[in-house]
Amino acid sequence: MAAVTLLAAACSGPPPAAVARSTGERATTRAYDGAPPPIPHDDSIGSCVTCHDDDGAAIAGVGVAPASPHGAVAATGAMQRCRQCHVPTESRELFVASRFTGLPQGPWKGSRATPGAPPTIPHTLQLRENCLACHAGPAARAEIRTTHPERIRCRQCHVPELGF
Amino acid sequence: MSGKFERRTFLKMAAVAAPAVAAFSCADQEEAARLASPVDRTSVKWDKAPCRFCGTGCGVMVGVEQGRVVAVRGDEASPVNKGLLCVKGYHLPGLLYGEDRLLYPQKRNADGTFSRISWDEALDLIAAKFKETLDQHGPGAVGMYGSGQWTVFDGYAALKWVKGGLKSNNIEPNARLCMASAVSGFITQFQSDEPMGCYQDLDAGDDFVLWGNNMAEMHPVLFSRILETRRAKPGTRIVDIATRRTPTSDYADLHVLFKPNTDLALANGILHLLVADGRIHTPFINENVVFRRGIEDVKQIGYGCFGDQAERYTFEDQGRPSSLDELREFLAHYTPDHVSDVTGVPVEQIRALADLYGNQARGTVSLWCMGVNQHVRGTWMNNLITDLHLITGKICRPGANPLSLTGQPSACGTAREVGTSNNRLPADMVVTNPEHRAEAERIWKLPAGTIPAVPGYHAVDLFRALKRGDVKALWIQTTNPWVTLPNRSRFDRTSNDGRFIVVSDIYPTPTTAMADLVLPAAAWVEREGVFGNTERRTQQWNKMVDPPGEAREDAWAVIQVARRMGMGHLFPWPDDNWHEPMFEEYREFGLGHGKDLAAYTQLKQTRGMIWPVVNGKETPYRYTAGYDPYVKKASGAHFYKAKDYGEKAAFWLRPYHPAAESPDTEYPFWLNTGRVLEHWHSGSMTRRIKQLHQAVPAAYVEVNRADADTLGIKKGDRVKVVSRRGSLELTVEIDGRGRPPRGMVFVPFFDESAIINLVTLDAMDNISKQPDYKKCAVRLERV
Repeated sequence: MAAVTLLAAACSGPPPAAVARSTGERATTRAYDGAPPPIPHDDSIGSCVTCHDDDGAAIAGVGVAPASPHGAVAATGAMQRCRQCHVPTESRELFVASRFTGLPQGPWKGSRATPGAPPTIPHTLQLRENCLACHAGPAARAEIRTTHPERIRCRQCHVPELGF
Repeated sequence: MSGKFERRTFLKMAAVAAPAVAAFSCADQEEAARLASPVDRTSVKWDKAPCRFCGTGCGVMVGVEQGRVVAVRGDEASPVNKGLLCVKGYHLPGLLYGEDRLLYPQKRNADGTFSRISWDEALDLIAAKFKETLDQHGPGAVGMYGSGQWTVFDGYAALKWVKGGLKSNNIEPNARLCMASAVSGFITQFQSDEPMGCYQDLDAGDDFVLWGNNMAEMHPVLFSRILETRRAKPGTRIVDIATRRTPTSDYADLHVLFKPNTDLALANGILHLLVADGRIHTPFINENVVFRRGIEDVKQIGYGCFGDQAERYTFEDQGRPSSLDELREFLAHYTPDHVSDVTGVPVEQIRALADLYGNQARGTVSLWCMGVNQHVRGTWMNNLITDLHLITGKICRPGANPLSLTGQPSACGTAREVGTSNNRLPADMVVTNPEHRAEAERIWKLPAGTIPAVPGYHAVDLFRALKRGDVKALWIQTTNPWVTLPNRSRFDRTSNDGRFIVVSDIYPTPTTAMADLVLPAAAWVEREGVFGNTERRTQQWNKMVDPPGEAREDAWAVIQVARRMGMGHLFPWPDDNWHEPMFEEYREFGLGHGKDLAAYTQLKQTRGMIWPVVNGKETPYRYTAGYDPYVKKASGAHFYKAKDYGEKAAFWLRPYHPAAESPDTEYPFWLNTGRVLEHWHSGSMTRRIKQLHQAVPAAYVEVNRADADTLGIKKGDRVKVVSRRGSLELTVEIDGRGRPPRGMVFVPFFDESAIINLVTLDAMDNISKQPDYKKCAVRLERV
């Protein structure tokens, strides 16, 4: 862990390849859009929030640790036990093949009332209270990276399209 | 309006943009393909349902698109889970879509293979075989074995068919293996099943005492609700009383490690201190408590699996009146030093627990599940936990209650409330009571004397009777006994045994492999249903998708067979509208008896209702003045169901007894078994879900590091776990999520290719007849 370098979250992006690998793997391992992604690494390396805090981390030579999208309550109270929902991956085998096809994952595009108007939020906000987890920070993919992370209160202008 | 236009534009753009996305991320091709195939998010329709897995009863919103379940969300409107689920809940949709879903009825051929037959043929065959068995061998030779996963409809149809149609009491739920000790605990103390408290106790309490309950893994959403309480209310404490360290221990303020089966002594040690130090609530006791004492001779009681008791265990004990003075005498030898010797718990911890229960300024909630219920003295242990609350008056107060947790989604709603067991009828009624039988016959419009007065076989005895041949025709629904029965090889079938076994399930299992006829069942939101959870909450859901192939709901199959046997009068409802009228008939049993369920129309509209529901209003705290409309007092508690105790609760004096089998020089380790977070029961659903299976792909054996060093084994080695009954080869886990103390190993039971129940013991509780899966003696052999 000594070699780990934490880069400033919102400003300097990590190498796109690391982001692509991270988001690509997450897209194929989680069950559907909104499902908790499994843990893609050895889950015994320490406290989850060391890396997956409100800002996330880019770890040189390893990859990117997305910020927790669960907002200010992350890792306290009811959200304290990450392993309630995020589980390790001990095998790549299946017990029996599945015909399940989950709700496809984004990025989805919100709609705009007029050109230049702030786009709506095209996904559920449940457990995604921290917008910047995905739209800024080291693990943000280029397509959905915000141009204005400093404005903090995203929902002043962006409203949920689905109503939940 | 503009949204629609924008969406179409976007879809076009997405198709054009797809190559660019692929270039951006070559490891991301699957997602790029998804982006290129337009899906309209607004086409997903959402509807409420309770979770299919444990007894917590979390509310989920189920997302359906083009006839398939594609997602779930935690239901933020559900008072149970307030939007949060556990990893099993989030992966619910996958349980429906395993590639090997059973799609049509299949009949076993003479050579052991199965052939597809039509539903008509299958239903005719069941009707013929059950009729033939009834005619030749009488109602004692037929039976039904279901589960706490039966919907209320399935359980009610089965109960009515078996007791009112076949005139047999041979119906049992797998809940006998799971919740029976909690039932007998509540019945012996309150003469009515199920808890007085509810999940609001988890918000209101100050101290949470977990008796043998790895809640962080087994009831994760309720555990996180307690963690939230501790965050909001500093000073909240969690006490983990356990025989091994688990993830729950990591979050506990106090971890109390006791030797297996000595929880009985520990509880008596706490009672000893409460009584000796005068920390009992005398006014509450005088007003609300009677004392009872039963047979205590260990030789007379036994353990229900050896010698004379090997075939049929029918121990009965009604108890006799006792007193507070007799209790003082009874507790005299449970001194802290003696209890510490027996339990291995330090004296300071025993005193700390007594301080906790004895502190009137703090609300105490006791929680327990299988550690206490799967126990050779499980009823006694249930009694003792409730005794701690009765003697301190910490009961029937928000935030101060004993709250028994349940393992199956409708263990309460179906197995316990409908009463799908050998001696019960709906709403706490029993077949041994002539008035109860008469009431059931009145509601069912059946001639007097239809329901037999003698209880049928309890679950383990049912399978013993099947093996012996006393039971010849058995229909098993929604459960997997050939993975979950203790000492399983005792129940294995021999070829040409002359039995007729029907198994209804959604996937092939070791149990369907034992069947003569396999029926494909509709699962979860493939049919309309009602479950009842731990906190007496009845929850309804609608059918949302069609079942695959020819799968049908279990209740439908029972109704069709009944009609073929000339028992159609039991189910006089039209085929296209029978759920609501069936529920309303069932509901009649509880109305006016303190077991009032909500009307079906109300259930459809709400996120469940906690019974008794009177005038459309639910009752979060039962027996509690100000909450329960049946209580006739202005304040405090009123145990109005306990007529034999003068409408008071019974405090039972219960001694310590050792386990049925303890380690010795030949078999030096305790074997403890149980679940893991990711898998549910025998794993037939969760193992077919990619994310859950890949998290825990196989069973393993947890070994203490010092024991492993002594044996010269390390993590990842293969060892054989050997008992007097069988053996099983497993991979060693050391210092993983569960950490047993020296002298104990733990094995999860979800893995049908590594069935630990070949090794376990079929000893059982003396009163509930629930087996003890937590304690037997094994040795480890290096492979």
